[in-house]
Amino acid sequence: MDESTKRLLQRLIRRIPTQMLRTTLDKWGRLTGGQLHSMDFTQSKWALTEKLLAICEENELAVKHITELEMIYIIDNPNQGMWYAFQLMDPEDDAHSVELTQFKEQFKSHLRELIRHVSVKIKKHTDEAVWIRIAWGDTFSRPNHMKPTYVVHSLQTPYVFVTSLTSKQKPLLSQALVLSTRYQAIKDANLSGRKLTAIRDLLMRQYHQVFPTRYPTPLAENNPAVSNQHIEKEQAESAANRLQAACEAFGGGMLPQLQSAVYKLETKFRDHSNKTMTEREEPFRCVVKFASTNLLESLRHCASSGIASTPVTPLLSSIPLKGKNYFVITDNGPGPSSQMRQPQK
Amino acid sequence: MAGASTKGVLSHLSLLEVQARSRKTPPQQPSRVKELKAKAEALMTQRDQLKAEIETHKSLQKLRASMDKQCTHEEEEEEEMAIDSENSQLLRLMARHTQLKDLLHAHDIIGGYNVIKTRKGKGLCVSLTTAYNGVYLENYNLEMDLKPTLRISRDNIPPFIPLKSLAEQSNMQTDIRTLLDPLSQHLNAFAARKQQLKLVKELHKSVQVMESNALCSLLVLMFTVPREKTAVLCSLEYTDHTRCLPTRVHFECEDKGLPDSPEWKKNSSLLMETPVHKALITMKKMGDIV
Repeated sequence: MDESTKRLLQRLIRRIPTQMLRTTLDKWGRLTGGQLHSMDFTQSKWALTEKLLAICEENELAVKHITELEMIYIIDNPNQGMWYAFQLMDPEDDAHSVELTQFKEQFKSHLRELIRHVSVKIKKHTDEAVWIRIAWGDTFSRPNHMKPTYVVHSLQTPYVFVTSLTSKQKPLLSQALVLSTRYQAIKDANLSGRKLTAIRDLLMRQYHQVFPTRYPTPLAENNPAVSNQHIEKEQAESAANRLQAACEAFGGGMLPQLQSAVYKLETKFRDHSNKTMTEREEPFRCVVKFASTNLLESLRHCASSGIASTPVTPLLSSIPLKGKNYFVITDNGPGPSSQMRQPQK
Repeated sequence: MAGASTKGVLSHLSLLEVQARSRKTPPQQPSRVKELKAKAEALMTQRDQLKAEIETHKSLQKLRASMDKQCTHEEEEEEEMAIDSENSQLLRLMARHTQLKDLLHAHDIIGGYNVIKTRKGKGLCVSLTTAYNGVYLENYNLEMDLKPTLRISRDNIPPFIPLKSLAEQSNMQTDIRTLLDPLSQHLNAFAARKQQLKLVKELHKSVQVMESNALCSLLVLMFTVPREKTAVLCSLEYTDHTRCLPTRVHFECEDKGLPDSPEWKKNSSLLMETPVHKALITMKKMGDIV
């Protein structure tokens, strides 16, 4: 094992929390039973790393095996780093019949055509998602395994999720994806977050959405505070209506965890008490950012508790409706799909 | 015979005879009057009839309005009718008849799908149910705006169902069923294929699922032939997304002759015609697979 491989392994082991190390190594399956047994997981990370290095030398493992281990760990713990969503546009007629082997072959060959030194690993996860690990090199240097890009895509759906991609690598990846999935274009879906599962669930609509029904089932609200029986009785109907509207806008039950929503405003300044600003011709550019550990949950609570008025403003309800958390708002009518019209006051 | 004088008398007599005869027939004027009188009477009866019909219709409408209110508010109110009981019974029946006819017509328009009004009549929400084998599966919803044109505003249809293209190809502005029927077909077929996959995983542990996809339009299974323990790779392609049976079955095996053998040709047509989880039961019975 050469120096770079050793460093790769060291960094990886440092990254994996001790409590997950055993199961991850087990899944990897590159250690014999005896070797796995011989590792003492109560030791310090440093000691464990040294032990593992020795075992890997013994088994004559190479870079490709280490990257295997990394991939196993990332697939099981995807909610780290920043993930960005992309959307494939305009499927060709045969996009619906693209199957896994075909996709794998096509993706690898297209990427290799675009950039000579690249290391691609593709794995199918049990939940139908295809995981791709790409280590980028260039004309002169070997692939850099320290900064790999991970791509997640479910065939026959238009969404692709990517982490750790530089702007130089983006066009190469886009090209390879478009050609191998048989679509015509790919665009930024304007959705990002730390939890892959959250942004994926939001776009694939895999959370509990609430629709108006004739016989609405009672929606549970996590609000145990009961101050006064009389107030509660009086407010019961309007509270129930607010809760229904909030759940219809954001969803019921557990919501996908988004961390932020960004609104880039390119609208004219509007405040009649400030003549200098309103007289300016150019739009007043500013950025509004909402941040939270669980943004959708917070917004839903704002609506159900009455802080935000119901029906919920489309500025906020567009987050789950359109599956985006980055919006550009202009004064002039509907612009390109990433923009939203400002509601008339 | 006295020619001239007889002529004169006879002709005069015949003239008198004619005059006398003509006096016996009734004069034209009185008959015309009677005719007109009869016509007037007929018209008056017709007018009375129409008046009665209008009255009935008015009472029917009142009764129907109260019936509709009864339906929405589920109140047990007896509407006061200012007519005798026999007529009121008949009227009630007639009102109920029109109500049922209207209901049938509405049902026909929306094709039996569950539709409710939202936002005080400005929108509606359609609920599409899916079921397979007598079991209800997922429920999907479409929220639509009615003005200015019928338009889908929100939905929870999975992204691999081509909702947008189905909407574009449909005639939904004039007949919403041209959207709902194909959509329901796609959703039910998807639910059926998904359920079949679930059953294959549950009931046939000896069969390995090598590949499947989110749309459940592709399924690759691995069979084991009993005696020789050879593996057979079976690919099922469901290219028609409105059906829950495959459009193509393909076997791959190390033993190149196996897919062409009569038993496996039979298995191929079995898999094309029977849902996969059931086909596997038959194949196991026939001893073709473990």
